[in-house]
This record gives sequence, C-alpha cells and structure tokens, in this order.
Amino acid sequence: MLRMITTRLATAILSLVILVSIVFAMTHATPGGPAYSILGQKATPAAVHELNVRLGLAAPLWKQYAIWWWHLLQGRLGYSYLLNRPVTQLVGDYMANTLALYIGAIVLSVVLSIGIGLVQGVTYGRWPAKLIGAFQLSLYALPTFFVGTIFILYFSVTLGILPTGGITDLRIENPGLLVYARHLVLPVLTVGLLGVAGLSRYFGSSVHEELGKDYVRTALAKGLTFRAVLFRHVLRNALRPLVTILGLSFPYIFAGSVLVESVFNYPGLGYLLWRSALSQDYPVISAIVLLIGVMTVLGNLLADLVNGLLDPRERFE
Amino acid sequence: MSAVLTLDNLSVALKRGRGKPVPILDDVNLTVAAGEMTALVGESGSGKTVASLGIIRLLPRGAKIAGRVQLGDTDLTRLNDAEMRRVRGRDIGMVFQNPLSALNPTTRVGNQIAEVYRLHTGESDRAARARALDLLGEVGIPNPADRLDDYPHQFSGGMRQRVMIAMALACSPKLLIADEPTTGLDLLVARQILALLTRLRREHRMGVLFITHDLSIVEEHADQVHVLYAGRSVEWGRARDFFDQPRHPYSQALLGAIPRLGQTRLTSIQGNLPDPETRPPGCRFAPRCAFREAACETAYPAPDTTGGTVFACRRGREITQADTLDAVTESPPPRARTVDGTALKVDRLAVDYERTATSFLRGIVGRKDRLRALEDISFTLKHGECLGIVGQSGSGKSTLGRAVLQMIPYHGGVVFEGESFGAMKHRRRRLARRRIQVVFQDPRESLNPRMRIGDIVAEPLKLSGISGQRKRWTQAAALLDRVGLSERMLPMFPGSLSGGQAQRIAIARALATNPGIIVLDEPTSSLDVSTQALLLNLLKDLACQDGLSYMLISHDIAAVSYMADKVAVLNGGRLVEFGPAGDVLAHPRNDYTKELIAASPHFRPRAAQGGRGGADEMPVYATRTAQHETAQTKEYNP
Repeated sequence: MLRMITTRLATAILSLVILVSIVFAMTHATPGGPAYSILGQKATPAAVHELNVRLGLAAPLWKQYAIWWWHLLQGRLGYSYLLNRPVTQLVGDYMANTLALYIGAIVLSVVLSIGIGLVQGVTYGRWPAKLIGAFQLSLYALPTFFVGTIFILYFSVTLGILPTGGITDLRIENPGLLVYARHLVLPVLTVGLLGVAGLSRYFGSSVHEELGKDYVRTALAKGLTFRAVLFRHVLRNALRPLVTILGLSFPYIFAGSVLVESVFNYPGLGYLLWRSALSQDYPVISAIVLLIGVMTVLGNLLADLVNGLLDPRERFE
Repeated sequence: MSAVLTLDNLSVALKRGRGKPVPILDDVNLTVAAGEMTALVGESGSGKTVASLGIIRLLPRGAKIAGRVQLGDTDLTRLNDAEMRRVRGRDIGMVFQNPLSALNPTTRVGNQIAEVYRLHTGESDRAARARALDLLGEVGIPNPADRLDDYPHQFSGGMRQRVMIAMALACSPKLLIADEPTTGLDLLVARQILALLTRLRREHRMGVLFITHDLSIVEEHADQVHVLYAGRSVEWGRARDFFDQPRHPYSQALLGAIPRLGQTRLTSIQGNLPDPETRPPGCRFAPRCAFREAACETAYPAPDTTGGTVFACRRGREITQADTLDAVTESPPPRARTVDGTALKVDRLAVDYERTATSFLRGIVGRKDRLRALEDISFTLKHGECLGIVGQSGSGKSTLGRAVLQMIPYHGGVVFEGESFGAMKHRRRRLARRRIQVVFQDPRESLNPRMRIGDIVAEPLKLSGISGQRKRWTQAAALLDRVGLSERMLPMFPGSLSGGQAQRIAIARALATNPGIIVLDEPTSSLDVSTQALLLNLLKDLACQDGLSYMLISHDIAAVSYMADKVAVLNGGRLVEFGPAGDVLAHPRNDYTKELIAASPHFRPRAAQGGRGGADEMPVYATRTAQHETAQTKEYNP
C-alpha cells in the first residue's frame, strides 16, 4: 500500500509541475502582455516598459518562471487590481463556498446513486430497471440552468421556503450556520440531482456486471441470502468504477459550476471565474485555472487511493 | 454404501429469452454414495453444469425443475427458499471451475472461508478464523497461518482451488459437488487436486459428485461414472465396468478420442451436438452414430444392461469398442513428408522478463528487477517435424514460443531456414516473420469479434500485398476448405462459432501466409475431448501434406505424444530433456519428465496400468510443485 501511495503521489506531483508550467506559459502568452491589459491598448511603449519592469516582466523568462514558482510555493498568487484584494485571499474565500457546495452535491449524488444503482442492477432487464433507465436519461438531458431556474421558481417564488441565492451579501454580516445551509440547499440539489443521472446509471450497470460474476454464485452456494451477497460481496466490487468516474469528473464539476453558480448568484469559484473573465482579471483567472487543475489531480489521486483500499489487486505488494 | 444423493428423474428447463422454457436436462437418475465419487461426464452443452446447479437450486430465473433431488432423507425440490439456504454450504459444498473468478477478489481468503462456517454454525469470529486456519492446512496449503489474510490473486491456480475446496469443506458437508474443478489447471496440479478430493472424501465419508468433460482424469478416482449426451444419460454404472467395457457408441468414441501412447489415429465423432431446441426425438446421438437403425431415430431406447454398465442404446449389447473405433476412425493420409533441411535452429536462447522492482527504493526511481524466464535453450527442428514442448505452467514454454515468433526480446540465436534473425535486414526479417505463424489457446478470445471470418482469415494476405477483398476471400475460401469448414462462413462473425470451429479459423489464418512453422500454444486445452481429437487429426494431416513444421506447446503430454516427433521438456526455464519423442516418452531419463508422464494416466499403455492405485497423493513431488507454484504467483503478480 505504501508503495502505491508513493508512486501515485509522484505521478500527481509530476502532473502538477506540468500544469503550473502550462498556466505560466498561457499567462505570458497574452497578446502584448499583461501591461496592455492593465494600462489599456493606447498605453505608450515607455509606460508599458516601466510597468513591465515594476511587475518583473522585463526579466528573462527562466527567471520569471523561477520567481513564479517561488511565489507559488509561498502561496502568493498575485494581486487583483480590479477587486483590490490579494488573489490568494480572494480565491480562498470563494473556494470555501465551492467546496461546501460540491462536497454536499457529491455526497448527495453518491448516496442516491448507490441506492438507485443497486435497484437498477438487481432488477436489470425488468421493468423497475427500465423505468429507472428512462428517468436517468431524461434527467441527464436537462440543462443545469433550466433545473436551477425551475427550483428557484418553485421553492423560492411559489413556496417561498428557500432563499433564491445571493449568499454574498449575507456573508458580510457573518450569518449563522443555519442561514448559510439554507442558502446551500437549492444549489446542492441542482448539482447533486444532475450528477445522479450519470453516476447511478454507471453504478447500476456495474452492479449488474458484478452480479453476473462467478463469485456471486459461490457466495449463494454458501447459503447466504441474496441481500447478504449484495451488500457483503457485490457492493465493494461494484464501487470501484464509480470511484474512478468520480475522480475523473472533478474538472467537469468545476467547469460546470460556472452555470449553476451564476443562476444562484452563488459566490463560488465558477462565479468568480465568470466575473474575472468578463473583466480580464488575469491573476485571478490563472489562479482559478491552477486551482481547478490542482483539484483535478488531487481528485484522481484520491480516487486511486480509495480504489486501492477497495481492491487489493490495485495495491503494490 | 448408503446414498448421500439420489437424483430421481431430474429434468431442468431453462428460459431462453421470451417464450417457453427449453428442456436442457431430461430424466437423469443418479446416485452418489457416502465416501464415494460419482463422475458426471459430458461435453459442453450436455447439461452437466445445469444438473449441478439444479441440485442446489441456483438456476437462473424462470428455470423449471421436475423430478426429485433426494439428499439423505430430504427432497430438496420440496424445500422453501430459507430451508434451501440452510442446505447450501452446510450439507452441500460446491467447488467451481476457475477459482480465480469464483472467489471474491476483494476479500481475504480466510474471511471467505470463515464466512460460511459462521453462517451455519453461529460460532464467533475467532472460532471461525481458527476453523479457516485448520481447513487451509487440511487442504495442503503451505504455511496456512501466513496465507490466511492473503487475497485470492496472491495464490496460484492450484492453490486457489485448494482454498475453494477448504471453503466447501468448512461445515463438513455430506456432499461435495465439484464442477470442472481441474479444468484450466495443468496436469500435475489437476492430479494433486483429485488426489486431495479422494483423501478428503474417504476421511470425511463425504460423497463427491465430480463434473467433468474429461474422462481420462477420472479413470483412477471415480467409483461411478455417468455419461450425459445432449441432456440425457447415455451410459452409467461402476467406473471399473465402464472403463473395461463401455457399451454406448458415444462412450466408446469418447474414450477413443483420448490420446494414448502409440496411437496412430484418434477417434473423431463427425457432426455437432444438437441444439437444445432441435434435439432429435429418438436417441439423441443417432444422427452422429455409425450404428444407427431406423428405430433409433424415432424412440428413445430403453436402458439395458448385460451385467456391467447400464446403457441407453438399442445395439449396445453387440457393438464393441473395436467396432466403434473401426467405424469412426478414418485412416490417416499417406505420409508424403520431406524430412530434409532444417526449418529452425535455436541456439543458446535466453529470455529475461522485467517486473516491478521488489525493493522500495528501486521502485521509486522506476528500476525494474530482471527475471530469467528461459536459459540456455538449444534445439533444431526439421521440415515437416513436430516438436512438442512440455512443462508445467510457468516453465517458460509459452515464452519460448514467443521468442521464436520474435514477439519478445531474447539473447542467443534463432535461425530460420538457414538465416539468423539477428543477422537479417529489416525488410528480410519482416518477410521471415510472416512465415512463422501462431495459434493461441483460447480461440474465441484470439479472434476479433467485430471482423468477418473472411477478413480474419485473409488479413495476413492483405499484409503480403494481395489487394481486393474478392481476391482475398477466394483464397480465404480455399483455406477454410483445407481446415474442413464451409466457405459459407466467410461473411459470418466469430461470435456464433463453437470452440472447435473457432480454432479451425485460427489455423486457417495461420496457414494463409504459407508458413514454414506454426507455433501451437496450447491449441486444444480449452476444447472438449472429441473436438480436440478432430483438431489434432486435422493438424497432423496438414503437416503431412506440405512439410509444415510445428512447435506444439502443451502441458498435456498425451496430446504431445500423439503429435510430436521430438519432445523438449522444460522445467523452470531450462531444457531438462530433449530428443526423439519415442525415446523421451518411453525411456525418460530426467526425474521431472518421469513425473509429467506419471501424471498423465492415459499415457501409459493400458495393460501396464495395473490396479487402480493412483488415489494416493504423490508425496515428494507434490510439495515441491506446491512451493514452486507459490513462488511463481508471488513473482508474477506485483
């Protein structure tokens, strides 16, 4: 197990180095450089040069790269002139919101997917599974913003039991946990339910596949009840593909967050990315891209480790 | 002897898609006595596995069972589900084929064994664990305390099957059902498993129902034999009577299809097993039987006996085994061999395998450990000759085949038709490689399911620059004809083929480039005995026709003795014996060769077989192979 962790960790670190380098290259490939973005297109060459020297952009590229790494390791990601805050602090605040939203959504969709997938896998080929399959497909086809909007219309406008979003303003007054949670309900539901569509379908076919394997017959021949076979033998084996898919879906979750967060006015990374892109706030954009990359790499690392726990064959002996 | 299990007119029908259930098994009567072994023998499609699953009632949804299954005093067909669950695992232990997939890959073997014991006895975890430990020791796993917390993939094939047996024994059942437990294991290991089952059934006075397609493996161990064909019993009785004087033409042909020493031709049963939906109304074997009469085709024959076995054949009294062998064994074509010139010369060949380093630090920096898989192998093969390469799993025999095929890097020389591969220019080398072809073990796995048979067979032709599908398919049709298949198969996909047909396709594909050598890597080990006989005969005929050379890799020394002119025995990556087949097999000098020959019951001439004393476990060698096996698994599974 230790061997597996170190090997996977080494791969993760290598991925991060490559990622950081790509982000560095992209920021430095901005047409005209960041100076023009800050000073405007009509800036005089002298002013641009002066700013470049001040920002350290006049130095040779390798030196800039080294400095970039040095700052990164200190947690310094630059300064957002537009929002007038250090990027690290800014991204940190939004990141907390994003994590609350997505951890909630992932827990919700995993729990629901396991339940639904078990039913679907066990009844495969018969009407309950077919009905579930039809629901999954229609749910999968629904666009995020549409579901979000419908939720707002029903729960907030018609029933008036949940806020429409806009947690940003509340945060300033330092709301209690309950208020914060109430604001989370609708976004979590939206992201979670849409996640269920794909995940449960995946898990359902995984359960069905495992049920057809020889060890299930062996377990039944021992005299175990079907329920015991399902929960003691099949579940653990069927979870592996689900974990892999979850790990791989991290970038989509964050990229997809732009839509959900803008519908709910939810101050997460997606929302920040969207706003920063509109106002060309490069330090913030590159920090978020970097962060999404880091989350993806860590997500995959986590999936590998969980799979190692689930399946001894994945471990290095 | 009291009967542990009695099947009384057991019939099973299975649902295939929509519509009415299709009868798979009809009116089987069978008994297993305490402490005895009954062998239920049948080829694929005979319904033997359905019978075993019918006994423990684990058939797929919609299956219909008729008749009685009497276990001691209880009729299992009358039990409700909860009662039946208490019988499974407690009164009946099951051992399945392919233990790697039959054991849960993510659960420690100790827990898998303890689970069944705890379930039926209600004992504590601690007691169950102690029981699991005892059982592992009893089934002959070395250092059981160290292996209790291992996972199934950490065991070798034979050891895994022992774990499976330990699990089946956990609650000391009255009956053990073993469904093809030795299929896929090499002969030495298979013999050890059988010997283990024999010891256990005697010690525990447990009845064993041994289900197999291979008559040769049960000859020395079974007390009763029951032969199934297309879902019906064709012959049954005491094993001694059966092997002395089989009465049913199918049993006779089946026995004749097993390669024996000095045999010039194997029995081949023409035609195919009927599909369950289209089984003939009378004797089901009639369409393939050389002795059929008009009456055979209309009514199922009543069981008859002359004091030995009971047989369901109208003419069973008069037909002797010699008659059958005369009727169904066609004479081999004339040997028009040109045995001059060397086809292949292998000179001090060595192969290293790389594997993940065992040392932690070396692993981090990505270094690999080297493992010598083959060492110092030298031999020559003439045109038209067949070289048999025998040895256990892990002996390096497949590696040798792959090195000759130039599929893996090696040290030393491989000289093909006078030219060394090492000295050839790139283009020349590519052409030469085309003339060494290969046929793999699992025919259905080695054919691309999305390609038409015509394209599979013609693919090598495409590589050698023959353009136009029509032109290639014309040649493919000729190739199919050579392997005894119809050109109507050209546009079909491999999914619908039987194992034997698929292997013929693989041979046709190998023949396409007009090769000098074909490497046959366990070509028949996944096939039924009668199919194997047909295929070996075909291969023999092909070699006779045009001086083709074979490298036949097999763990089955009997099949090798039937085919080979020369034999090479590999053990642990070294060539321990090499020479003309007759010399090596009749007068083996090496101990390992002697062991291999001893493990093959049919290999010895029948007269010399003497008493049925093979039930004892092979003492010295058994432990040695056990350790060898364990070491192999540890090495190859990172």
